[in-house]
Amino acid sequence: MSDNKQELRDLNLLFNARSVAIVGASTNPEKLGYEILNNLINMGYEGPIYPINPKADEILGLKAYPSLSDVGRPIDLIGVIIPGKFAPGVIEEAGKLGVKGAVVISGGFREIGNDDLESALVDAARLGGVGIIGPNCQGINYPANKLCISWPLIKQAGGLALISQSGTIAAALADRAEKEGIGISGLVALGNRCDIDESDLINFFGADPSTDVIAVYLEGIRDGEKFMEVGRRVAREKPVVVLKGGRTERGRKAAESHTRSIAGRGEIFDAALRKIGFEKVESIDALYDCAKVLAVEKKRPGRRVQVITSSGGSGIVAVDVLEELGLDVAPLSKGASARLTEVFPSHCVVGNPLDLTGDTPAERYKEAVLALAEEEPEIDLYLLIFGDPIPRATENCLELKKAIDRPIIACYIGGGEVEEVEFKKLNENKVPTFPTPERTARAARSILTG
Amino acid sequence: MSARDIINSAREKNRSLLEPEAYALLAAYDIPVLDYRLATSSEEARKMAGEVDFPVVMKVVSPDIIHKSDSGGVKLNISDEESAGRAFEDILENVSEAVPKAAIEGVLIAPMVTGGIEVIMGMVRDPQFGPAVMFGLGGIFVEVLKDVVFEIAPVSREEAESMIKSIKGYPLLAGARGSRPCHIESLIDIVTGISRLSLELPEIEEIDLNPVLATPERSFVLDARLLL
Repeated sequence: MSDNKQELRDLNLLFNARSVAIVGASTNPEKLGYEILNNLINMGYEGPIYPINPKADEILGLKAYPSLSDVGRPIDLIGVIIPGKFAPGVIEEAGKLGVKGAVVISGGFREIGNDDLESALVDAARLGGVGIIGPNCQGINYPANKLCISWPLIKQAGGLALISQSGTIAAALADRAEKEGIGISGLVALGNRCDIDESDLINFFGADPSTDVIAVYLEGIRDGEKFMEVGRRVAREKPVVVLKGGRTERGRKAAESHTRSIAGRGEIFDAALRKIGFEKVESIDALYDCAKVLAVEKKRPGRRVQVITSSGGSGIVAVDVLEELGLDVAPLSKGASARLTEVFPSHCVVGNPLDLTGDTPAERYKEAVLALAEEEPEIDLYLLIFGDPIPRATENCLELKKAIDRPIIACYIGGGEVEEVEFKKLNENKVPTFPTPERTARAARSILTG
Repeated sequence: MSARDIINSAREKNRSLLEPEAYALLAAYDIPVLDYRLATSSEEARKMAGEVDFPVVMKVVSPDIIHKSDSGGVKLNISDEESAGRAFEDILENVSEAVPKAAIEGVLIAPMVTGGIEVIMGMVRDPQFGPAVMFGLGGIFVEVLKDVVFEIAPVSREEAESMIKSIKGYPLLAGARGSRPCHIESLIDIVTGISRLSLELPEIEEIDLNPVLATPERSFVLDARLLL
């Protein structure tokens, strides 16, 4: 087992910091030190903000200080955006001032082979009791405290926590979550994770009341034992979805056993995730989609899916993927078919998929589901495809959500301007909605376990 | 010798476990191995072959030889004492020719078993997650189809059972096309035995039990490699 056993860290004081200093705040709008200060202000952070810059008196309307020591008031958290070689000195100073945490955005450490500088940073942090996120990272965002030391500025609060070894992947998913009206409960770019690691963060968001689901992008684990311990506890509380990039390290031994040679492709990592109870996904889209659907719908036993669509082709594609993923798109019973045939116009194709065709109003989806809920209680999930500009999709889905106890997920595709409105509205209202039938089918698979 | 003694003695000699040592260690964890003997002369070979059931298989035991068949160190289907004595001499000759400096500890004699379904089990110690236990079908199923599953230790009986049932080739074990189903409980015993052994003996880095023979009555290890 790994001998670099890491202590579990309490991050409450860091994320709920009551005052923040930005070391390396800049007057130059071209610089990151300007953008980050600007984002923190625009996020609406309510505690005092102290820009630190020895060459400026004032930045973005805030009084600037030459150094942390010159502030003269308590500072809980600092953002560090200065050349890496100065970072250990700043952390040392921060430790003496009682600062609890530092988000070190600066690069120039282990990622370019500068291991000594990173060790100096860690030593300074340990000595002063400062928790470090980074270095070489894209920062943190915690809407519950209106705390954004990162970019781009994402303001919308929601239930999705993003923890990522890649800043871009975290930012891209947060951006998507904001555009879709879902929002985030937090974002952390781990960077070189010299101190605070993925397990600390999974632990924090596991206990965080505003977080419904945790999405994690990792290239490796810092401490497997800690990861398993924390993971098994958090997995009982809320869903955690993991995308692992990169292949596992090759065996260290020259003489490879058969078992070793088979194990070299991520199987052990997958086995660990399964043991913990985390969801494993294979793509960035799946990471987002799976997290999105599990934030709203609990996993449940069952395999049977009813597809209702306005687009024949989209319905067929959905059925193919559902079946390939081991779900059951069973045909309708005679009773259910007879009832729908009686109620719906003759050009509707009654079956599974149930094709309401392109002229259908949203109300017909509702009528169909309500009728099927009575006739076919064995259906475990309804997958609705709005494949045309169909207004009022949201209202009808919300009524259905109240009326029946099965998950309803949707695909909105080919709907032009109506889609733009409805897609966001559906997601805002916790009807998980996806842009393609394939992705909707995969989301169905992440809910149904049977 | 206890499991601990076996490991210590191999470590002193700076080598991995020899086949008889591997069997002794597996047996200490209730992992069934065949009734085997280690012969150090053709005289002993004749006598010992008679003690285990004919036909027997004979395999060279040497820390310097990994691929026993390639160096002529394996004789199958020996059906009487005289052939056993001759096989002993042949094996020594073949091996000395193929690997002139090989240290030969003797020749292992075990009953020759046929029938049943070959499965592969093993363990690899992951630097992050510790021992990961593997189960799969043997032969082309592992070579070509990679039809195997891993589980992080400790592996409970329930987890071992779902491992076995999760591989694509499981219907073959469950008795496809009218054949009798294999004894799944004994396969579970071996999986959980590997798990226990791996947790209690951290010196063991890797295990290959390839093949393990699964039959309707029981399962047992036909060949084992334990790497320190």
